[in-house]
Amino acid sequence: MAMAGPAVAIDCEGVGLTYKAKTGTAVNALENVRCRFAPGKVTAIIGPSGCGKSTLLQIARGFLDPSQGRLRFVTLSGEPAAAPAMATVWQAFNLFPWRTVLENVAFGLELAGVSRADREARAKRALAKVDLAGFEDKYPKQLSGGMRQRVGIARALVMEPDVLLLDEPFGALDAQTRLVLQEQLATLVDTSGTTAILVTHSIEEAILLADTVLVMTARPGRIAAEIEVDLPRPRSLATTHDAAYGALFDQIYGLLRDEVVRAMTTEGGEA
Amino acid sequence: MLERPLTDASTPVAGSGWRRLATWLGEPKTLGWLAVAAVLIGWELVVIVFGFNPIYLPRPTRIVLALIEMFRNGGLTTDLLYTLGRVFGGFAIALVFGVAIGIWMAISERFNAIADNFIAALYPLPKVTLIPLLIIWLGTGGPFMLTISALGAVFPIVLNTLLGIRQCDPGLVLAARDLGATRGQIIRMVLLPGAVPSIFAGIRLGLGVSIILVVAAEMVVGKLGLGARLYLAGQVLETEQVFAVLIVLATLGIVITKTQDAIDVWLNRWRVA
Repeated sequence: MAMAGPAVAIDCEGVGLTYKAKTGTAVNALENVRCRFAPGKVTAIIGPSGCGKSTLLQIARGFLDPSQGRLRFVTLSGEPAAAPAMATVWQAFNLFPWRTVLENVAFGLELAGVSRADREARAKRALAKVDLAGFEDKYPKQLSGGMRQRVGIARALVMEPDVLLLDEPFGALDAQTRLVLQEQLATLVDTSGTTAILVTHSIEEAILLADTVLVMTARPGRIAAEIEVDLPRPRSLATTHDAAYGALFDQIYGLLRDEVVRAMTTEGGEA
Repeated sequence: MLERPLTDASTPVAGSGWRRLATWLGEPKTLGWLAVAAVLIGWELVVIVFGFNPIYLPRPTRIVLALIEMFRNGGLTTDLLYTLGRVFGGFAIALVFGVAIGIWMAISERFNAIADNFIAALYPLPKVTLIPLLIIWLGTGGPFMLTISALGAVFPIVLNTLLGIRQCDPGLVLAARDLGATRGQIIRMVLLPGAVPSIFAGIRLGLGVSIILVVAAEMVVGKLGLGARLYLAGQVLETEQVFAVLIVLATLGIVITKTQDAIDVWLNRWRVA
């Protein structure tokens, strides 16, 4: 996970996104978003359902073009830079069901033309990192939700990305599995020193994993606040008993609550 | 009855041979084959007892003898190979074109719009009705047979390929893009493998139609092939031979169906948990 090139920050400069809904009306998903995803740091984006969190992630990934403003990649000295290598972990896992666990993890390397022996060795190492050694020949259907997402994490990590994008990675998992995976991911991110952008609904997840939490408003999504999390690492469930953790939680919840209520009362608050 | 309580699990050793036989006879699979045997024996007896004219209803034993004789000296093997060659030859052409057209329709809205109307017109048309026109255009030789066979199979394959790709989870395409897949790689490594079970369902339907069309075409024009053999035997009232060809066709159907079942199980191995 060593960063290949010079450290590159992703800057959103007044990013906005307007799209035409199927009904023909223009929807303002994002409005004047200004933020920086700093290299080597974990930035969490938290906000009510439908606020455009995942849309912002897609823009950062380069899958969506902003309709206003722009996305810039800059070195720490302010020079323009090439887009860093990115890999995404998805809420719905998005594993290829006809490929075994090993073949799923090796998929990106296969696309890049890495030889079979090499890519399988690297995929095996990535699987060992997420405690899935021995499950190489299973199909995704044969695994539990938590195990599937660990495959998803290994599939992203094996690409050794400069930036890891986490799109509500534990949103589809039960509460207990979620706790365990949050701790594991915190450790993985700590030790790799990779840049990560985490989209989440969970305040707890945001605080446990992130260096910076961006709180977004209800649609159209804007950055309501940028909160630094300076709790010591490694963080674990024990961190949540910390007084500083409680204060952060209350601060974020206070900001979110009004927005969530607003999202619920306008447009039915759909996801 | 009283000596042996109902709850006694340890069945006595005496009489267990009969008991085992009864269990075996009661099994659905055995029962299925016993029914076939019963019908054949009943058929044989009825023909003998009532003295039916073999032109109307020959005895099963005579049909089997006729079948063996046809394979030995009557060139039935050649007919079988001709029919198989036409069916699978046309089917192979249909598979290549069908999958390619299906993929193209799935990824290009324009091509889909163009192809859609032609398919809507041609798919429901009974393909047998094309036989006269194809004979005018192509004659009655190999090209005609391959064309009619391919025409039968191509539509189900196109439509099922299209359906299979359309049902592909968009999340998988996004994940592949995220991992650096090109457009070609997405088609080859995501859309196509995801659509394989659906394509195979199209192959099943298509192969069935191909067999029907080839045999029908052979009945109309052929000098060689199972359909021609069937028709000619009927013309000269060789009823035993008619039945013999029907047996070959039925057996062919069984072999193809069972093979497809086995392939289906293998293709769907990742679908079962």
